[in-house]
Amino acid sequence: MIRSKNLLLYLGLILGLIVSVFPFYWLAVMATRTTPEIYSFPPKLWFGSHLFDNISRVFDSIDFFRTLLNTLFVAAASTVLVLFFDSLAGYTFAKFSFPGKKWLFVLLLATMMAPAQLSLVPSFVIMAKFGWVGSFKALIIPGMANAFGIFWIRQYAEESVPSELLDAGKIDGCGFFRLYWNISLPILRPALSFLGAFTFIGAWNDYLWPLIILNDERKFTIQVALASLNGIYTTDYALVIAGTLLAVIPLIVMFLFVSKQFVSDIAAGAIKS
Amino acid sequence: MGEPLRQPLEPRQVHAVSAKRKWSSAIWKHRKEYLAISPFYILFAVFGLFPILFSMYLSFQKWDGISEMTFNGINNYRFMLTDPEFWKAVRNTLLIWIYSTIPMLFSALVVAFLLNASFVKFRTFFRIGYFLPNVTSLVAVSIVFSTIFSNNYGLLNYIFSLFGLNPVEWLNHTWGIQLAVSFMVIWRWVGYNAVIYLAGLQSIPSVLYEAAKIDGASGVQSFFRITLPNLRPIILFTVITSTIGGMQIFTEPQVLVGNDGGANGGGLTIVLYLYREVFINNYFGYGSAVGWGMFVLIALFSIFNWKMVQGSGAK
Amino acid sequence: MTKTRNCILCLLIVMFMLSGCSVNSSTPNQKTLTLWYWNRGLDDKLIQAVQKQFPDVRINAQKIGGDFKSKLKTTLAAGSSGPDIVAFNDWVTELFPSADRFYNLYDLGAKELEPDYLDWKWQLGVTPEGKMIAMPIDTGPTALFYREDLFKQAGLPTDPEEVHKQMGTWEDYFKAGEKLNQAFGGKVKLTDNIGGIYTQVNAQSDSVYFDKNEEFIGETPASSMKKAWDLAVQASQKGLLANTNSFTSEWNAAMNNGKIASFVGAVWCKQILMDAAPDTAGKWRVARAPGGDGNNGGSFLAIMKTSKHPKEAFEVMKWLLNPDNQVTAFKDVNLFPSATKALDAPIMKEKEDFFGGQSTGDIFTESARGVKPAYFGTKYANLNGIVSRELQAVALGKNPETAWNAALKRVKKELLR
Repeated sequence: MIRSKNLLLYLGLILGLIVSVFPFYWLAVMATRTTPEIYSFPPKLWFGSHLFDNISRVFDSIDFFRTLLNTLFVAAASTVLVLFFDSLAGYTFAKFSFPGKKWLFVLLLATMMAPAQLSLVPSFVIMAKFGWVGSFKALIIPGMANAFGIFWIRQYAEESVPSELLDAGKIDGCGFFRLYWNISLPILRPALSFLGAFTFIGAWNDYLWPLIILNDERKFTIQVALASLNGIYTTDYALVIAGTLLAVIPLIVMFLFVSKQFVSDIAAGAIKS
Repeated sequence: MGEPLRQPLEPRQVHAVSAKRKWSSAIWKHRKEYLAISPFYILFAVFGLFPILFSMYLSFQKWDGISEMTFNGINNYRFMLTDPEFWKAVRNTLLIWIYSTIPMLFSALVVAFLLNASFVKFRTFFRIGYFLPNVTSLVAVSIVFSTIFSNNYGLLNYIFSLFGLNPVEWLNHTWGIQLAVSFMVIWRWVGYNAVIYLAGLQSIPSVLYEAAKIDGASGVQSFFRITLPNLRPIILFTVITSTIGGMQIFTEPQVLVGNDGGANGGGLTIVLYLYREVFINNYFGYGSAVGWGMFVLIALFSIFNWKMVQGSGAK
Repeated sequence: MTKTRNCILCLLIVMFMLSGCSVNSSTPNQKTLTLWYWNRGLDDKLIQAVQKQFPDVRINAQKIGGDFKSKLKTTLAAGSSGPDIVAFNDWVTELFPSADRFYNLYDLGAKELEPDYLDWKWQLGVTPEGKMIAMPIDTGPTALFYREDLFKQAGLPTDPEEVHKQMGTWEDYFKAGEKLNQAFGGKVKLTDNIGGIYTQVNAQSDSVYFDKNEEFIGETPASSMKKAWDLAVQASQKGLLANTNSFTSEWNAAMNNGKIASFVGAVWCKQILMDAAPDTAGKWRVARAPGGDGNNGGSFLAIMKTSKHPKEAFEVMKWLLNPDNQVTAFKDVNLFPSATKALDAPIMKEKEDFFGGQSTGDIFTESARGVKPAYFGTKYANLNGIVSRELQAVALGKNPETAWNAALKRVKKELLR
């Protein structure tokens, strides 16, 4: 009886999986077809024969590997910085008490509520004043400590980092930074894996801000370069989709790598507590 | 030196003279905490404060983005509050939020719970599968979904026709557009939220479950007594971020039905409206006013949801 | 564990150092000209040839996709320096209030080039005060695309000249649509959507929403606004529309599956149609449009005031857009010329298989010569958006009378903002 219940749950999981993966599968199918084939009806649901043709045209149209490196640099730098600053701040909010904490936190949350489209122009003005237009700094630095990540780490640390452990650490003579680096960070690792993955993906797929900031085709990130394939009157979708697919692959590899961190680390964290 | 949470400082009944010194000494005492959280506030002061003040100023100006600004009093706000399109956008946004967020968070919780269950095999595989939609860029998503929900020639209608059903003109109806947008949101964010919940679930020490088992608690009982309470901060996080994210929904309707919001403006959300007014109609001042109106709405809605989640825990 | 974290720390430091580096590769004597344009908005081969043509110029050409306008507007609004040369689409009039942010091309010597270009197109880049801020790249002359086979089956004329003779006005065109409806029982529609008709009628007109003083003229008899509205509503009420929005996947499928027998569109629709409806190759023809010649789309180049090398920029621009290079650009990326001499080039007369061996260039060049000069006004897009939304509602069943009044009311409110 338990077996059949499990079977049902499995079926549900697999059904959800199919829904999740299908659009992606279709994307892959479209990357193997020509633009007219993509438009055709009834839709073509199986792979075609133009994958290599499309991919080689992507390589002809944009400097794919350079943009990939640019994107990798921006995404990796953002991720590392965000992980450090957000975890430090989030953990401090969760585990320590200090005057003004509540209001500082409310302010932090409030900054998330203003729509990004609103600050496009003034933010650009600041970048122009700093001379950062066209520079990766404008993509990395303003977001390197962000409200989202701090909020996330705070919520996670609240329950998972035991105060007893911190007390014990203090008795052992750990300073503030060592409590963070040696005791709390290992426990926070599942949360950090998520935040890291999410930040990386966000930076990788970011489009409007890099489009506005970057001023040299040699510094374009992948999404900006892909957008440049949109024609003024017509767009070659086979080309765009093939490029999009290529751009997603590194992310999947990255997630494959990070995803394994979720489980194994929990065990490590549990042992410590 | 850090101060663990349990004894909050209460500098309340002190005299005015010593208050200042006491405050500064309290701040000095906690300098490390302030240092730890300072990067965010420094960045905010440098990069975030000016845009906010500027947009506040701008919301009282008339500006097309290029010519001279002229003072416009509260006219921008008046126009906003009397513009039926604005209210339509508010209604659409709230409806899409309801259609998408509740099923999304619920399914994410179920998926996370299953992926955390010991009997499920190939968990990494499932995790990647469910997270895949979130990795994919919106350009791709837009092409795929516009083909799926196309009025007469969409994939969905193609499937309907295989079963002998009549095609549904999704994008010709307000509800159809909102359903399609909500589906896109659910599709993109279930895996993401599931991963969040999963991280939360795994942080719950297994000792607690073992103890409950010894006490003879059933699976359902331990779900309500151990899982949910321990997961509350995480649930709060997802509720607040999906409230903020949901109220700011923009790209999904834009790619699906365009800047006008499609048939009868069914997909016109607040940010889409803001974007249209600023970047298509060139009302930079008015756009700022809308941004502030939106900020107030999001803040109220977030507070409401915060209380809901917290309150349900207090009992 | 500690190792990983130390690695991350190192990475962090390296990244900080790296982010200080920047790319710079122009030789000292070269003047760098930055150019913003769209993919296929200019001929890339010609842009590369600029280097050879002008040895002291390095061209930094950037294709900006999708949100080109957002990027341009953000740059302009921030008041910071942008590119030297920038492309505009047909929304050039929106930039007239900021004419002083661009060089007056007349000051740089554009006047002597004026006779070489189509006058109506040239005038689109000149402000009412007589400042020329933008120079023509390509044009979008409109014509009637129709399915010869479907017209034949419905007993309609099939020869382009005959089609034009019998369907010279929109009213006659709609009559043909009724014939199509009878012949196919409504399975084949005359044309795509209500907004398309509205747009195309206005594209043929010389006065739509504003006169040169930016006064709203929509309610005067000279304006085509009401006429276009009525025609669009008429087509909808007669059941002549397939109600598929232009250039969506829905539209593509409807074209390929023969659900739509014709549409009035600009010359750049050719490529879209070929991609969308490969199965119908050879069955399409092009005739002069009902209601007259019109223009839809077409872009421009301008020089920003922040440019340090306006003279060089103008020389480059002049060369890129000269009649010979317009012919090249037509050959390479289908940019329909704006220079009159280019319209006479033999390549314009080439026969096309997709159109059953017809030389559609003949039709489009005639159309391009027949367009009337028009002034669109800085709020054209705002008003067009309002009216289009109401028209869409009519197509979905809203009472046309109510919708028209709502549109007018909203337009008037808009004009006061």
